[in-house]
Amino acid sequence: MKKIKNDGSFYLNPYLGGVILGTILLLSFYISGRGLGASGAVKNTVAATVNVIAPQHVEKSAYYSQFAGGDNKPMSNWLVFEVLGVLAGAFLSGVIFNRLKLKVDHSPKITSRRRLIFAVLGGVIFGFGTQLARGCTSGAALSGMAVLSYGGYITLIAIFGTAFVAAWIFRKNWI
Amino acid sequence: MREELFASGRNIPNIDPYLEIWHWQIPSYLFLGGLAAGILFFAGVFTILGKENKMPTTVKIAPLLVPFALILGLFLLFLDLKHKLYFWQLYTTIRLESPMGWGAWVLMIMTPLSIIWSASYVREIFPNWDWKFKFLKTFETWVIKNRILIAWPMAIYAVILGIYTGILLSAFNARPLWNTSILGPLFLVSGMSTGAAVILLMSKDHKERKIMGRIDILLILVELFFITHMFMGFKAGSEASINAANLFLGGSFTAPFFAFVVILGLIFPAILEILELRGYKVPVIVPAILILLGGLIFRFLIVEAGQITKYLY
Repeated sequence: MKKIKNDGSFYLNPYLGGVILGTILLLSFYISGRGLGASGAVKNTVAATVNVIAPQHVEKSAYYSQFAGGDNKPMSNWLVFEVLGVLAGAFLSGVIFNRLKLKVDHSPKITSRRRLIFAVLGGVIFGFGTQLARGCTSGAALSGMAVLSYGGYITLIAIFGTAFVAAWIFRKNWI
Repeated sequence: MREELFASGRNIPNIDPYLEIWHWQIPSYLFLGGLAAGILFFAGVFTILGKENKMPTTVKIAPLLVPFALILGLFLLFLDLKHKLYFWQLYTTIRLESPMGWGAWVLMIMTPLSIIWSASYVREIFPNWDWKFKFLKTFETWVIKNRILIAWPMAIYAVILGIYTGILLSAFNARPLWNTSILGPLFLVSGMSTGAAVILLMSKDHKERKIMGRIDILLILVELFFITHMFMGFKAGSEASINAANLFLGGSFTAPFFAFVVILGLIFPAILEILELRGYKVPVIVPAILILLGGLIFRFLIVEAGQITKYLY
């Protein structure tokens, strides 16, 4: 086996990474009885925050009242803790492979500012989409497909299909 | 909503069946008190060992925060009092069997000591500082000459202050979660660990950070040991103790306790500190802030959960 370089350039083989992710998904079902997710943690955090600031709005809102207000406890949710673990694990991996550096990755042809604006815009659209689709790449596509859910496959095709088209339209930002 | 029906001759609002008298002020004060005790303990010990120039942040800079932490903590205690204007009556009596009396007197000694200690280093850290009055200058010269004489009581009283933050709760016999003598040492070790974290955050000296990092790892291990034994003790105790422990071992406090205190507040920062000692680059702010947050959340959970546990059914 090649010796792992400690200069921040080492990345895991993507196929091996996929197998590890699949194993984690299996373990997640076994241990917690739930699949993996990311957008759910953000959603619950937002719902809990809105519930603290404007509880009347949460009661009236058909969307927020599903997660917060009344007897709902949005923060005692497996996804919230899972995402904290993801952050901790990612930080640990950054430490071990010497990749901890505050920087903005972008094409040399665009500025960091432009990259950040597009990232935020993309994030907002994706977040909005996850709530319409009831899940993101991890929660709907990955965990959904793992239990052979029809919706999971459609979500995956829709996310990556749209991404192919959008990548071509915005290619000037990268190449 | 959880409902509970019980027949009792005792129905005292805010006391039975659940205590609802200690809010955010108490755990915040316990946190600040423990942190102050930790910093002053290390400052005292390293002065006694003659290492004040090798450990400049520990002995000279970090203690500057302590008077502010203690005064803020005392102000929080004051806010918690029902009859605020009678607080001075704590100082009209000495009762060895009263933990609050102990705390009041220890703080009466520690707060001025910490002010004197940090004031004696002000001119070294801010060379342009002028004490204005002659008697202050004379006093400063005396303190600088007799630092070791002050360091001894400071280190000893720091230990008492650290233990007292736990004893304040454990002397409360009517609440099974608090009624364990391990709470004293546990809060002491946790306070020292948060004190070490503050020193790690402030220190720019590589060697000093290495020494404090090592001490902190040791303190975290001891703290984990105490936490394990606290629950083992409860599990081997009466039904009320078992119920108290179950709040954290499957009950409603399990997830926040294990996620924020045990994993993110103790184990994860310990791993990061071990990696740093082995040569990996870790921004020290991450383990230090996690330890501080873990210590704060730990006190909030223990105070909150303790008020729910009870003997009476």
